[in-house]
Amino acid sequence: MDVEDVLSDVVSMEDLKKFEKEYHNQLTTGTVSQETKFHYAWCLVRSNYPADIRKGLILLEQLIKHEANDDDAKRNYLYYLALGNSRIKEYSTALQFIKAFLHMQPENMQAQNLLVTIQKKMESDAHKGMAVAGALALGLSAIVGIGFALSKNLKK
Amino acid sequence: MRRATDASLPTFGTMSSKASESKMSSSQYSYIFKYIIVGDMGVGKSCLLHQFTEQKFTADCPHTIGVEFGTRIIEVSGKKIKLQIWDTAGQERFRAVTRSYYRGAAGALMVYDITRRSSYNHLSSWLSDTRNLTNPGTVIYLIGNKLDMESNRDVSYEEAKQFADENGLMFLEASAKTGEYVEDAFLKTAQIIYECIQDGRLDLNAADSGVQQKILQCETNPNVEKDKSCMQC
Repeated sequence: MDVEDVLSDVVSMEDLKKFEKEYHNQLTTGTVSQETKFHYAWCLVRSNYPADIRKGLILLEQLIKHEANDDDAKRNYLYYLALGNSRIKEYSTALQFIKAFLHMQPENMQAQNLLVTIQKKMESDAHKGMAVAGALALGLSAIVGIGFALSKNLKK
Repeated sequence: MRRATDASLPTFGTMSSKASESKMSSSQYSYIFKYIIVGDMGVGKSCLLHQFTEQKFTADCPHTIGVEFGTRIIEVSGKKIKLQIWDTAGQERFRAVTRSYYRGAAGALMVYDITRRSSYNHLSSWLSDTRNLTNPGTVIYLIGNKLDMESNRDVSYEEAKQFADENGLMFLEASAKTGEYVEDAFLKTAQIIYECIQDGRLDLNAADSGVQQKILQCETNPNVEKDKSCMQC
């Protein structure tokens, strides 16, 4: 329950299944409404599974390219495209979407907050990456060191 | 004009400045309370959230997309409590999905605009959603926003107070613009939840109580899976 930001908010299985069912029901009958597709995509991008998130991103891209009929709808899709991409650590793509949003509506605080959250996430991931790289380098140098010491010993 | 909080302003402790809030690490609070904010589009839900979490007011706030999230650490009876607030979009197109955020809320702020009767008339629909999707123990606080626009008032205090009394809701009028009574709404809700925990009316072991108690174990043993060890609810 301890959610730190919008990126750590995870959809419940129950909801994901409910909106998935609705989407598939409409698929079989012929036309899927924009609303149903959006609801399903909104749940998918909040899934714990990257495959679900990617599926949600595809739906959102379809929506923004072919179905968005007003700026309001476009911004909704841009927002969730940014959110979904950052949840699979595609940060540069996420930044592009949220910046496109802010280009349309620079004063939107919700989008500004998401931008800051994405930037923070990028930074902490970069630090984690550096820590891992540092640990690897340390480990490697220890092995080299031991090897060197051993070879010296052997020579004696 | 009478107001809910005229008689006595409650004395709650809050973190006095933003700086001191940011210094607090995530383990320095005893409880997490989940809140939701619901109500018609344009009644000022996000403005109330921003006023409470950032002491900021933006006029012509754009529509919320889906849900917005905010936190603030407060103090009730000497205990630090982290409020985790989900501000839901009022637009109909989001309502199907925002309903899922109601689950497990310990507090629900139900907002209408005192200058727009239609937003008041829709309260029964918001209330039935809130009641159906939350627990019987969820504290529901009715807030009449835009108190700063007294000259355009369309719903009297007395009428809304009666509605609140009939439905067993807490009630006050506030202004997200001036900040008047905004703190009271959020803090009084927390105090009632806290009292419910203290006297056992709110069962922390019940599913979706909306309250999470922090246990020392989480802070000292990073190997313990956090959710399992901490979640008492």
